[in-house]
Order: sequence, then C-alpha cells, then structure tokens
Amino acid sequence: MKVPLSWLREFVDVQLTPEQLADALTLRGLEVRGLERWGSAWEKMVVGELLEVGPHPRADRLQLTKVRVGRDLVLEVVCGARNIAAGQRVPVALVGARMPDGRVIERAEKMGVASEGMLCSGAELDATDDGDGILILDQQAPLGAPLAGYLGEDVIDVDVKPNRGDLLSILGLAREVAAINGASVGYRRRAVEESAEGIADDLSLEVDDAVLAPRVVLRAVDGVTVGAAPDSVQMRLKAAGLRSVSNVVDATNYIMLELGKPTHAFDRASIGSKVHIRLAQPGETLETLDHVSRTLDGSDLVVADERGALALAGVMGGASSEVGSATKRVVIESAVFAPTSVRRTAQRHSLRSEASHRFERGQELDLAPVAADQVAALLCAWAGGRVRAGFLDSDPTATGARRDLSFRPAHVRALLGVDIPDETQAALLGSIGIGCGKASAAASVQVTRARAVNVESVGLLVATIPAWRRDIEFEVDLAEEVARLYGYDQIAPTLPGRDLPGFRHQPTALRDLLRSQLAALGMSEAVTHALVSQAMGDRHAEPVGLVGGRLAEREGAAHSVQLLVANPLSLDHDRMRRSLLPSLLDRADANIRYGAGSGALFEVGRGYGRDGAGPREWTRLALIAWGEIGAASPGETPRAWSLDEMKRVVSLLSSTAGASPRYAPLADGDSALLHPGRAARIGGEGIAGLVGELHPGAPEWRDAPRMILAEFALEGLTAGVPQVRQLELPPATPPVQRDVALAASDDVAVGDLVALAREMVTLAVRVELFDLFSGPGMGVGERSVGLRFTFQPAQATSLDDAIEDELAAFATRAGERYGTRVRGTESA
Amino acid sequence: MERAALEDQLRSLQVESTAKIGAAASLAELEELGTALLGKRGALTDLLRGIGGLAAGDRPAIGALANEVRAALESALHDRRAVAGAAELSARIARESEDATTPGPLPALGSLHPIPETISAIAQIMGSFGFTVAEGQEIEDDVTNFQLLNIPEDHPSRDLWDTLYLREPGRLLRTHTSPGQIRTMREVAPPIRVILPGRCFRYEAVDASHGFEFHQVEGLLVDRGATLADLKGILDELARGLFGPEARTRFRPGYYPFTEPSVAVDVTWGGSKDGWMTILGAGMVHPIVLENGGIDPETHQGFAFGLGVERIAMLRHGIPDLRALLENDLRLLRGGR
Repeated sequence: MKVPLSWLREFVDVQLTPEQLADALTLRGLEVRGLERWGSAWEKMVVGELLEVGPHPRADRLQLTKVRVGRDLVLEVVCGARNIAAGQRVPVALVGARMPDGRVIERAEKMGVASEGMLCSGAELDATDDGDGILILDQQAPLGAPLAGYLGEDVIDVDVKPNRGDLLSILGLAREVAAINGASVGYRRRAVEESAEGIADDLSLEVDDAVLAPRVVLRAVDGVTVGAAPDSVQMRLKAAGLRSVSNVVDATNYIMLELGKPTHAFDRASIGSKVHIRLAQPGETLETLDHVSRTLDGSDLVVADERGALALAGVMGGASSEVGSATKRVVIESAVFAPTSVRRTAQRHSLRSEASHRFERGQELDLAPVAADQVAALLCAWAGGRVRAGFLDSDPTATGARRDLSFRPAHVRALLGVDIPDETQAALLGSIGIGCGKASAAASVQVTRARAVNVESVGLLVATIPAWRRDIEFEVDLAEEVARLYGYDQIAPTLPGRDLPGFRHQPTALRDLLRSQLAALGMSEAVTHALVSQAMGDRHAEPVGLVGGRLAEREGAAHSVQLLVANPLSLDHDRMRRSLLPSLLDRADANIRYGAGSGALFEVGRGYGRDGAGPREWTRLALIAWGEIGAASPGETPRAWSLDEMKRVVSLLSSTAGASPRYAPLADGDSALLHPGRAARIGGEGIAGLVGELHPGAPEWRDAPRMILAEFALEGLTAGVPQVRQLELPPATPPVQRDVALAASDDVAVGDLVALAREMVTLAVRVELFDLFSGPGMGVGERSVGLRFTFQPAQATSLDDAIEDELAAFATRAGERYGTRVRGTESA
Repeated sequence: MERAALEDQLRSLQVESTAKIGAAASLAELEELGTALLGKRGALTDLLRGIGGLAAGDRPAIGALANEVRAALESALHDRRAVAGAAELSARIARESEDATTPGPLPALGSLHPIPETISAIAQIMGSFGFTVAEGQEIEDDVTNFQLLNIPEDHPSRDLWDTLYLREPGRLLRTHTSPGQIRTMREVAPPIRVILPGRCFRYEAVDASHGFEFHQVEGLLVDRGATLADLKGILDELARGLFGPEARTRFRPGYYPFTEPSVAVDVTWGGSKDGWMTILGAGMVHPIVLENGGIDPETHQGFAFGLGVERIAMLRHGIPDLRALLENDLRLLRGGR
C-alpha cells in the first residue's frame, strides 16, 4: 500500500522523518518496501508567476507570456493553453528539463518568437489527467521553488500482510504510527447536509443472505456534475498509485484509501427502484466495467435491481450502471460482504481489484455507513451534489463489537523468553488500542480454535480487542503483539538447552561422502530442473522391473507413468522427470557447445512417477562424462572417459556404499539413450541402474568426445551412513591366486561369466577379469576370457582341494551354460 | 720362509695396494679390490699362509704386522669408498636431474554444486546443535502443504504461494518445505530438532532472483520450553556459521500463518554490499500447527524457520544471477579452474 505522507499527517502527527518512519514501521512488522519521492523526476521545473499574457503576433492559437521564475529572472514563454491569466502561479519547465514522456525542453522558435521554456499541464507532468489547461497552482506557491519540492510527495510503500486488512488504509497506518510516537489519531469526519428528499422515496434495499452480506448501506446524492476531481486530489491518488477517473469514482477511491472501505457508485438513472443483493442465477450474464461480458455462477454474489445483475459484489461494477459524464444522480453502495465469497468470485472471474483485495481481508461493519457518508460528503464538495436524507441500511444493528480475550501474561513471557511484566504488556497493547484490565473471575483462555484452558483470575489479563483487529483470535496473537511492540531487538538471544533429542546419524552422511568422492574424481555436481518438457520426459525412463534388487522392486511400476502438471508455466516444464539423464545430457551438451572438450557432471536428484498407490519419488545418482580425465604430462597419453572408466567410478562408489555391482546385458527397450552395443544394466546387491555410451542416434552424439552415461539407485543414497566394516586379522599365509582362461563365443557376456564365477567359486575373496582377447590362437567368433581368482586360505594348503573342486565345477557349469571350454589354468 | 722376506712382502703389498685403492674410480672397483686384497682368498690371506713356516718366536710380530697392513688397507678402502660414493651420488643426481618446476599435469577438477553444498553447510552448522536432516516428499497434498499449516482454503494468505498442481486430484508440488513440520511432528515425539532441506516449486516467472524451482531448508525445534529468545540465539549462530563471525542479524516481525509470533530475519556482514538482506522467515510454531502435528500446545512449544538456499548460495558464493545456478556451466561450477 502506497501512502503519501502528507495524507498520513492529516490523521496523525508523524513527527518522524520519512526514513525514520520507514525504519520504525519495518521493525514493527509493517515492512516498508520502498520510500520514494513522488515527483522527483521534475528536474529543472519551477513555480513561476505569470506577469503578462498576451496574443502571439503571428498565431491565433498561441499566447505570448512573460513568466517570472526567480527574483530577477523573467522568461518569455509561448503557450497554447487558454486557461492562463496574469497573476497566476504555474509550473514552468526550464530549458533542459526532461518531461515524464521523455521529451527534453529546448529553447525554441515558435512562429517567429523565441520560447525559453514551457508552461506545463497536469498531464504533461503526469500529475493529473488534465491535458488541456495549464496546471494552475496555489497563489501561495513559492515563486521560483523547484516543482519537485513544492508539489512532490514523500510516499512510503508498505507491504501489508494478508492478516492485517485493517492496514490497507491511511487510518490503520495512522494507528500504528500513533503507537510508535505516542501521538493520537484524529479522523475528521466530513459533515453532510441532507436535502429534503429522502433516499427511500424512490429506492428500496433487499438482502437475501445476511451471511454473505452482513451489512449493506446505500446513500443517494443528486445533482452531481461529473468531471475531474480537484488537482490536489488527482495528484494524491496518483502518488498513492491509483488512476484518476472522475470526481465521483475518485471520491470512492479516496475514501477507500482513507478508511480501507471500498464503496461503489451507481448511476441512479441506470438502475431500477430496488437494490437487491442476491446470488446470481446460473448462466446470468453481466458486462463488467472492463467491458468483458461474464457468465455468472450460482455462487457469485451480485448487486442487482429488479431487472438483473448490476455488479459483482465486492469485485467490480457493471458497465450498464457506470457513472458517466451524463450522470446527475448517484447511489453509493457501501457494504460488508463475506470475504470467502468475494475471493471465490474474484478468482473465478480472474478479476482482482483494489476493492476485492480489501473485501477478502475482511471489513469493519461500523464503517459501512461511515464510508457511504464520507463519499457523499466528497460528492457535495467536488461535484456539487445534494445528499438525500437517510440511509438504506440492511442491518443497522450489525456493528463490530469489541471483544474480550483473556490471556496469561506469564505464558507470553514463557513463549518469548523475556521477562516483560504484566503492566508493561498491558501498556504495549494499550498503545495500539487494545485495552487491558485485570480479570475479575476465572476465565477460559483460547489457545486454539479447538482448545481452551480455564485459568484462575490471578494469572489473567483481559484484553479488549477493537473491531478492526479481526486477526487477533487467540492468546498467542496477543503474545505476538506484545513482542512486536516491545521490539524483537530488545529480546536477548539465548540457546535452547533443555530438551535434547537422542543421537541420530545425519542420514545424508553417506550421500555427502559419495558426492565428495565424485568431486575428488574430477566430476562436477549439477542441479537440473525436475520439471521438464514432453520431449525430455519421453526420452528416457528406466525400464520397469529393471533388476531384481530390492531397490528396483520398491520403485518398480512407477517408472513408466509420467506426472503432468495441471497448470504448467510453460510447455518446457509441464511434467515431472522420471530420469535425471535427459537433463544431465542436455547440460553436458551445452557445456560442450560452450567449449568444454572434456568434463564430467553428476547429480543426486529425484525422479518422479506414479503407480497404483499414487505419485512416487525416488532418488538417483546420475553421471555423465566426456573427453579426457584430467590433463596428461607433455608426451604422455591422457586417459579418456570410457565405459571402463565409468565402471571404475561405479565400483568406487559401490565400495563406499557397501554395494557390489554386476553387469548384465541391456535388454531391448531398456533405453533409447544408450548405445545398444556399449551399455549394460547394473545390478547386484544394493545397486541398480544403467551404464553406457550415448546412443549414436542421439542428437547430442559426437564422434568426439564420446559421452558416457550412468544412472543408478544406490542403497543408502536417500538415507544412509557409511558402513562400519568388519575387519579380520589377516592369516599368516599369503593369498593364493588361480587364473582360468576360458574360450567363449563372442556373444557370451563376460558379465554373465563373472557372475557365474562369483556365484560358484564361493571361496574366492576376489574375482577379476585379467585378460580378454580374440585373434591369434583363438577361433573365429571366439575370444579368451581370463579370470583371476584370489583366495585367502587360513593355513598353507588347507584349501587346495576345495579350491580345485570349485574351479572345476565352475568350468563345467560355464561349459554347459555358455559353451565355453577351458584354455588353461595357472597357479600363482 | 724368512721373517724378513715375509715382512717385505707384506709392506710392499701395503704400498702397492694403497696405490691401487687410491687409483680406484668406482665403488664397484673398490669392492673388487677389497675382495682381491682382504677376501678369504685375497692377497693378504695368501701371504699369511707362509706364516706356518716361520719360527714360532717370529709369528707374533708377523701377525701384528699383518693386522697393521689389514687395518691400513681397510682404512684406505673406507676413505676411498667415501670419495667414490660421493662422486657416484653426484653423478647419479646429475644424471637423474630434471626440471621439477614444471606445473605438473592438472588432475580432473571436480566440484560440489553451490546449492547442495549450501544445504550441507547448513546441515553441518545445525548438526552441532543437535538438528538432524529429514527429507520429505516433494509431491504433497493441499491438506499438508496448506490446511494443516493454518492456511485454510480461500484464505487471502494463500496468495503468498502461487502453486503448481499435478493432474492427480488433490496433489500439488510443495510450495515450501513447511509441510515437513507436520509430517515430522506426526512421526517423531518431542523433543524434536530437525532440518528439512529440499526442492520446492512455485508458479512464478523466472528472473535473476526467482525461479519456479528452488530449494529451502526448514528448521523445526519442539520441546517443553523453546522460546523466541532461543530462536534468536539459534539463528544468530546459523548466520555466523554461514556468513562468518562478522555476521549480524536483525529480527523484525513477519507474517506466516503457521508461526506466531512470526519473524523476518535480515543479515549483514563484512562482505555484504547492500546492508540488510532478508535471508529467512521464522517464528514460534502456531499452537494450531502443533495441534495438527499431534502435539499439545499447552505442554510443548517450538520454533521453526525456513530459508531460501539459492539466495544464501548466491550471497556466499558471490553469484549475482539465480539462473546461473541451474545453467550448470562447468566454468562456473569449477570456480574458474
């Protein structure tokens, strides 16, 4: 809410400089977003006095003026406006002044006469809407004074929180200022003189539902002349951020800003004899002031006459009853509508207005007649109106009574952790109009809506809440008021030391360790969008039932279904990603385009999907790497990212997480992102995912650098701590190695052979692939697979027979299952 | 043999050998000489075989002389070894020398992203006060994201959160980490000290300081006597942990439906250019929220705070534009390395 300070000063003696006021309000919870000097753009513009106004020698439409802009400085200025006369004080833009529209004033020859500046209209200054005449200033305007100083306004912009609708008014802010400096708030109500005719002579009021419209007040003003509001009013509204429309509309806006009470003015001639507040008929239409024809819903509250809807109650008026230049009689509607109803209607029709904003935050019942009256008074002053006698008032008994709320000052102290005596609490509350007294009897303290506790009178104070503080419902609300008025800066910080929860591991410990390891391996962590486009979302989903590990079972079916956003910001981000890989690939590609010939990215993030039980989220680690791994020395061949290098990373992470990766061939449909011949499923205890080179058909594919991708779930990634390993004293005997070379057909997956070896040779502490070749010595379509088994016998030779048995059984089974034959064995 | 002849031979062995030793250039040569002179089958041993033919009375003198010769040769060998050893070492050093001042090849340079890194930093600071991490779900429902946090349907405070909804009825993308407060209170009995970091979503246009996806860290403490003063104390420590010992905080009233009293916290520190910067919102957990979390507001009270990770990361790392954080340009991520 923008508040011109001159206006605020009409309500309260501010005493503070604008900066002090802004700080004081901010520290009391009324955050001042901005402090501006309205009119500060009027540089090189001054107050001038017209000494002479005469005809222009060559142009009928122009006048020649002499204007004094300083004690000894008189300028000759040519002017086209007709409303000027000698003796008037007017705004003068000097040579070099820049007008709000960007035009710079220059010394100019106008029809043969030099003009040394410009007399300004209100519109040229962007101060009023009047573009025809020069803005005539007060006779007391100081001659030669800068216009910015004379007409300018200090304006503070206060961020009013949704619970404090009472602060959407000058009056409300004045109350807070009064609490700061101890001044008193004075609202001078304008007196209204009523004419002989009564409003009830030709108008009646009916309200269907007092819950939706607890109070509706009408006031009628005849004999108005619709025109522009006074210049000072237009400028004030402009400074407050509102557009000037006409004296009638400006009057309603003026009072809305003063009191926080929106009203609406109807053209009396355009409405019938009865104002009827009712729900709209479903399908009923109404053209609103913005000239949009709207089809109403059965739950929209309307102001209607006997013929049909005139306005959306609390939201916007209708075009048919709009006040226009021909309007002579006006009906002012000042009502209190149910906040929820107004909010729903405003939302349904996407119509947010200054009025609906205030109605949604609640209205004070007592202000309904006051606001109607004040608008009427302004119409008399600004538009020459005559106020008809009386009000139409749907419920004069509906007034905002003060409420009593009991609270425990000791509880306030316990909540704030600061010793504020009872009397101080009462005094602080008193400064914002909340009177406090001692309780005479035991009373119930409202803790929440559902919870009240009975307290003896000795520990109680009773606060009397004024009608405008609708936000104060519970004891804790008073605690906040006490804290805010006491000053948060006055509360000495302490550290909570009483109740400590028992020890719990940081569940992110393992993830953080893995991330650090990846960084140490030369990979850079990325964070990409969870919301992706259809193209990206469709691109890759980890296959359903990927690997038989526990992780995959938990997340199974959810992978296949994408979650769509109902109200996306754009099609680029209209769904939740299932996999991190497309986003990461996109970033890798961008980096390559930026010139990163080598690089590696990783991300720990979530994928999203849906299964029968509803939406699901899962945590994944995704990796992508391309080019060289670090730099090489001069003359050295650098290591490059490859499938094996990526597996090295997978192995390291697995070892940290206590997982054991196995690689199995990719199945059809596993991934369109991965090279079908250079990719594998990762399975095994505690890990499940995919690894491979980018598919050569992918748009991001380059012959060089090749991109290697991996994405997997890892036990403990979501929540886990690094394992405490169980260590054994090593036996005195050295480890024993056995190498077995198998001849296998090319289409036998080494991963399968390794898996079989691990399964069958249970005595081995390690199984490695130490050799893999085809060519000389091997048949066509055949290769040699060298497996090295490491054993750690507890005593020399104690295992020899058992080892040989297991190796033999493995060789036999491999032969049966994969058609391999043993090329040789060797002991080491 | 006569004693005198043997004595002569021994002396001339000493003289000749000393000359040879002095002429030896390498350790290997000296090794050879040593063996040839003093070894089991060396020259000295050879000569001493003649001792058997001497008169018994002559033997001690010859023995003494032989020991003298042996000692002299050993000494000569030792001295010469030192000289030759030093020369060989110098030669080796000279031979093996290279320019060790080359910069050395760079390792692959990895880095941690400012967003998760800031979350880790917060977790570490708060961990020292007994707060542990709990990560909630990003897909929430209206009830937990709003209603249980004292944000009823159709309340104007809903305007504070522009929400992205899923097509699944009633499901939305959490607009803040605060629903984690409810979930935590329902799962864990007090005393509670948790932080809830994670990704949040808003229907909001992207600019230099806003994004439709961003990260928050929520903090929640519930016990029998937590106070606003405690909240100030904890947040002071957090601010110093994040921005250094120079950091100062300013607490002013704020507004959140789920806290009462509510606090907005500004921070300033040595490196800050812009004076007070708002970094987080906080407050005492509203009794209605405690109640919704299954905790009796008459026996327990608590405080909560929520901070925007991106803003803190930007301030800590000197990144002026939030969009750069999701660009994932390696040149930025690696810190220009």
